[in-house]
Amino acid sequence: MPRLPVAGLLARGLTQLKNLGFGLLFLWPSILLFSAFVFYPLIKSVYLGFYESDPLGNQGDFVGFDQYRSVWGGSDFRHSLWITFQFTVYTVVPGIVLGLGLAMLANQKLPAISIFRTIFASTVATSVAVASMMWLTLLNPTTGLVTWLLDQAGQPRLNLLNDPDWALPAVSLTTIWLNLGLATIVFLAGLQSIPERLYESARIDGASRLGTFLHVTLPMLSPTLLFVTVIGMILAFESFGQIHILTRGGPLDATNVIVYSIYQEAFQSFNYGVAAVQAVGLFILVLGLTALQLRFLERRVFYQ
Amino acid sequence: MSRVVFDRVTKHFGEVVAVDDLSLEIYDKEFLVLLGPSGCGKSTALRIVAGLEDPTRGTIIIGDRVVNNIEAKNRDIAMVFQDYALYPHMSVYDNMAFSMRMRHIHRQERHRRVLEAAQTLGMTDLLRRKPAQLSGGQRQRVALGRAIVRQPSVFLMDEPLSNLDAKLRVQTRRELIKLHRRLQTTFIYVTHDQVEAMTMGERIAILLDGALQQVDRPQDVYDRPASVFVASFIGSPAMNFFQAELASQGDGLVARSAGVEFPLSPAQGRALAKLPTRNVTIGVRPEHMLLGEASAKTDHCVLAVVVDTVESLGAEQQVTFSNADSTIQARLDPSPALHEGEQVLLMFACDHLHFFDPETGLRIEDK
Repeated sequence: MPRLPVAGLLARGLTQLKNLGFGLLFLWPSILLFSAFVFYPLIKSVYLGFYESDPLGNQGDFVGFDQYRSVWGGSDFRHSLWITFQFTVYTVVPGIVLGLGLAMLANQKLPAISIFRTIFASTVATSVAVASMMWLTLLNPTTGLVTWLLDQAGQPRLNLLNDPDWALPAVSLTTIWLNLGLATIVFLAGLQSIPERLYESARIDGASRLGTFLHVTLPMLSPTLLFVTVIGMILAFESFGQIHILTRGGPLDATNVIVYSIYQEAFQSFNYGVAAVQAVGLFILVLGLTALQLRFLERRVFYQ
Repeated sequence: MSRVVFDRVTKHFGEVVAVDDLSLEIYDKEFLVLLGPSGCGKSTALRIVAGLEDPTRGTIIIGDRVVNNIEAKNRDIAMVFQDYALYPHMSVYDNMAFSMRMRHIHRQERHRRVLEAAQTLGMTDLLRRKPAQLSGGQRQRVALGRAIVRQPSVFLMDEPLSNLDAKLRVQTRRELIKLHRRLQTTFIYVTHDQVEAMTMGERIAILLDGALQQVDRPQDVYDRPASVFVASFIGSPAMNFFQAELASQGDGLVARSAGVEFPLSPAQGRALAKLPTRNVTIGVRPEHMLLGEASAKTDHCVLAVVVDTVESLGAEQQVTFSNADSTIQARLDPSPALHEGEQVLLMFACDHLHFFDPETGLRIEDK
């Protein structure tokens, strides 16, 4: 009996189904983990955003997009966005400059340079809590080193962490210090992958030190720069520990970045609906920024 | 005037002596090849001229200036690196224009020079590309072009052909010779490849362990190698050597090695008679060997040997023979074809012998 074309189609369909089955077999551990810790919370957050929360944190009335509209349009969220933006600029830009500077110092061919490389990279091995406690001590308005230095210089004492003008720079300083090790390591690796011949070539070509840096080092480092920028921004967006330990978002919300605001809304005010809306806002923001970075910065980056 | 002079130049890297008391003058507009095995200090010598390394002792002169304290960029030189060292993020055009940009040469002049060099090297259609989009040969051209636009008084080249395939290497060799003729500039060219040295150099300077062994025109280096090292380094396959002892025979001298007797001409005898010892190292090039007959002429040496291996190259056969206690290599006509284990007689004319002092390895002049 001749085989019907339907049978062929069926057979092909079965093979595809079998392949899909195999694929899923390999994927199920990560699908499971992602579902539990990423996809479900994400969907649940979007869903929670449509409901108000009662004072005890129970799910209240369905309000549709009203809550999204009021939170995203409200001054608290905008303030947190503005703080987050400042915090990002304060940490990423100096972090790149200092990290690159330290990496260039550590890239010298000097005796015992590996000791300095270890010191420069050491903050990678420091936890957020330890670093925060350290800076809390350093910045202590009566016994801290910063106060002592101000005294020595004959300047008035400053309570940096309790001053609305200084709290964000102080938290930023801690964060820069904390992330500096990572930036230094990544930049050092980037610098070491630039062939020595290029520098020799530039020397013969008559490039000055600045010229060599601008025309050889920086372009050759561009993938590293992009990487450090993206990682730095992500770290800035998700910074929580140092803010929690140093300032708790204060004084006067001066350090209330979005992540901290979400924490406060959700776990102190039990305002899950508002927190969910803020979280979705942060998600869209990070997604958009990452897409922009990949689209525009990627083009200027030179990959060998 | 763009001569280059090494005056008693020594370079140490820690304990290692890379260049050892090198004195050498490279004439204006000369194509000089620095030749030697890897690690002989030839690249270091070149880098000292470039200003990328400082000599430990000694003086470097370019033109009429002592350049020891002059920076690389002000030495009026251009260098082509073995791996080309092109700036990978710049287009071919920008790579070539970079040195002129750094020197603030006017944009129009830059453009003119880049186009001119690109035309010379036949790569005007590549100017917009990045190095990663080029083949090895094209990159090599860009590296040359980058040197040409500088209009330097000395070109320094560090094994520029070693990353090319065999065919391209032969072709580029010829182009470099033409380029040198056209530019009328001093070229210092570092290589470990004796064929490159022989074909391109107007003179060859041979280095071993940082020390200059010989500097001469290629044919002179081949005909009258200054030492056992030079004799074995130049020529392929390498020269055959025999350890021989001198003995009186009649009113002349004869040299005897295991199973061979080398009859010597009166001039050779006189030269060797001056030696303090009775021992001498005798060298014969493989291409001077012939298949012999028992009734050879008296000015030929005859050697009974057994065929070991035969490598047939079509135009010739390279044969390794074994003799009492040594192996002997010969380049012979393709016919008669030889076979492993065959017993034959080899002969060579006595005026093709090279004599060396076995103590110092230095040549004993016999003419």
